[in-house]
Amino acid sequence: MAQFYPLRVTDIKQETRDSVVVTLEPSPKHKEDFSFIQGQYLTFRHTFEGEELRRSYSICAGRDEGVLRIGIKKVEDGWFSSWANEELKTGDTLEAMKPMGNFHAPLRPNAAHRYLGFAGGSGITPLISIIRTVLAAEPQSTFSLVYANRSANSIMFREELEDLKNAYMGRFNITHILESESDIDLFSGRLTREKCDALFGRWVNVDGADLVFICGPELMMLAVADALKARGLDDSRIKFELFASAHPGKAKKSAASIRGAASDETCSATVILDGVRREFKMPKQGQSVLEAALAADLDAPFACQAGVCSTCRAKIIEGEAEMEANYALEDYEVERGYVLTCQCHPLSDKIVIDYDQ
Amino acid sequence: MSDDTSLMEYLAKGGKLSSPDNAPSRYRAELMRQMASFVDSEMAGAAGFADCINNGPGITERIAASRIVLEKFDHAKRVLKLMGEFGANIERYEIIHPWAARVGREEDLGAKRQAGDMRLNVFHYPLEGWEDAVAMNVLMGYATIIQLADLSNSSYQPLAEAFHDILPSERRHAELGEEGVVKIVKSGRAARERIAVSFDYWRPRAAASFGGAGSPRFDLLRKMGLRHESNRALRDAWENKIDRFIAATL
Repeated sequence: MAQFYPLRVTDIKQETRDSVVVTLEPSPKHKEDFSFIQGQYLTFRHTFEGEELRRSYSICAGRDEGVLRIGIKKVEDGWFSSWANEELKTGDTLEAMKPMGNFHAPLRPNAAHRYLGFAGGSGITPLISIIRTVLAAEPQSTFSLVYANRSANSIMFREELEDLKNAYMGRFNITHILESESDIDLFSGRLTREKCDALFGRWVNVDGADLVFICGPELMMLAVADALKARGLDDSRIKFELFASAHPGKAKKSAASIRGAASDETCSATVILDGVRREFKMPKQGQSVLEAALAADLDAPFACQAGVCSTCRAKIIEGEAEMEANYALEDYEVERGYVLTCQCHPLSDKIVIDYDQ
Repeated sequence: MSDDTSLMEYLAKGGKLSSPDNAPSRYRAELMRQMASFVDSEMAGAAGFADCINNGPGITERIAASRIVLEKFDHAKRVLKLMGEFGANIERYEIIHPWAARVGREEDLGAKRQAGDMRLNVFHYPLEGWEDAVAMNVLMGYATIIQLADLSNSSYQPLAEAFHDILPSERRHAELGEEGVVKIVKSGRAARERIAVSFDYWRPRAAASFGGAGSPRFDLLRKMGLRHESNRALRDAWENKIDRFIAATL
């Protein structure tokens, strides 16, 4: 089960109009737990209006800096990001899991790698951690960053990136692409496939790159990856990370639990899978929802059938059910109506279960 | 603003994911299923093979068999760790199934998944003696290499990387099997006949591990970027490889 640790907010810096950089400090006892790998993220939990919400934000510090910093860009309707931007203050305590994530490559101090990075908006947060770390740990490696933003005043870490450019003269360069406000056509607009083709032909040298990191919204990442592949880079050299704020993080209302009178021993079950609804009758005892779904010829997902792996997770949309055992779902998931269908028996006369949510 | 639908489109266009947080529910489920199938097959395969170590005729063979057992458990552990990042309870998972349990030698399980764990059906059948273990290891060794090569392009990058790292050692396991076959064939006619019988026994069972042609799940997995080549294409590649090996060796 996931464990959360307290992190004290020691500094909050307004980075742009709608983003903050938050410095965090673990308790001395958990200092080691929060030593991170460049490009990793932290998952936080916070309760809004009685409902627990979890959000992940990338660490934007370098590994050698000895501090823990995250960047949080405010997302429209995003509860957590708005709260962090508007209400969070120095001295507060946040709760986070240990650093996680796989958006990184092993460091090789003797290597002379040529790295490329593509960031869209707040997708810069894991990249700045990677850039800082790699430039410090691999003295012969170089890093070229293409960084796309809406406008100049929405560029996160603008000064920090300039400082890095000066500190690592000749080893680090940045190309800014702005949707508006750029006088030069090549550097204005969105990072589309055409834009990438134009950049790769004239400005950014892609050939022979050892590793490419891309972090941003989906369309940008696909466009960059397609353009890179067209230039002969294979998949194994391209690392993707959907940026942390891709999901708005608006708390979903938990499934209404409608207690039906337990009038008989069978239940009318509706299962939604891949957008298709199927109804069937099932006994309230002696057969799990998963078993009943499989018996009704539905190709419902499952693996361990022992309440351990969570492959068969689904959400109760209507009705009530109980689980015999649950070793995988956390309390907040259960509160939202998620069940392990291999362990789940209906209590109400009608139940609607959705595998797609 | 992303939601599950746009993420599914992103995946269908070749996009990759790198953390559990971004995985849509159906994607998560199919990915977990794939990982569970790999973990369970490695666990069951290693558990079954462990019993054969003492059947190895010499110390070299026993070292090879021990290495295969050790590394298959290690592969299972690596992928189980990724399942843990999605919420699977790792400690409990390792002990929920009797990994060494087998059905009768002559039972016919077909391709339909058995109750219990998610191992490929071929790992439900018992090994009988050293030649039998070596034949099964070669057949499933090649099947694993071909199947993992496809999974190494997984849209879930941490899994793609894990399989990419696991692939060379699975390749080595198949090579150790090949060396074992060559040695058995050289050791005399009786052993050679025994292993030919074993190849006949295991070949259709290993072939079934590729799944049926035209499976609707495959289409779903392909859209999610979790599979690429069809079951049929992978199986054909394997049949070719096995035909060549048997023609050259037996």
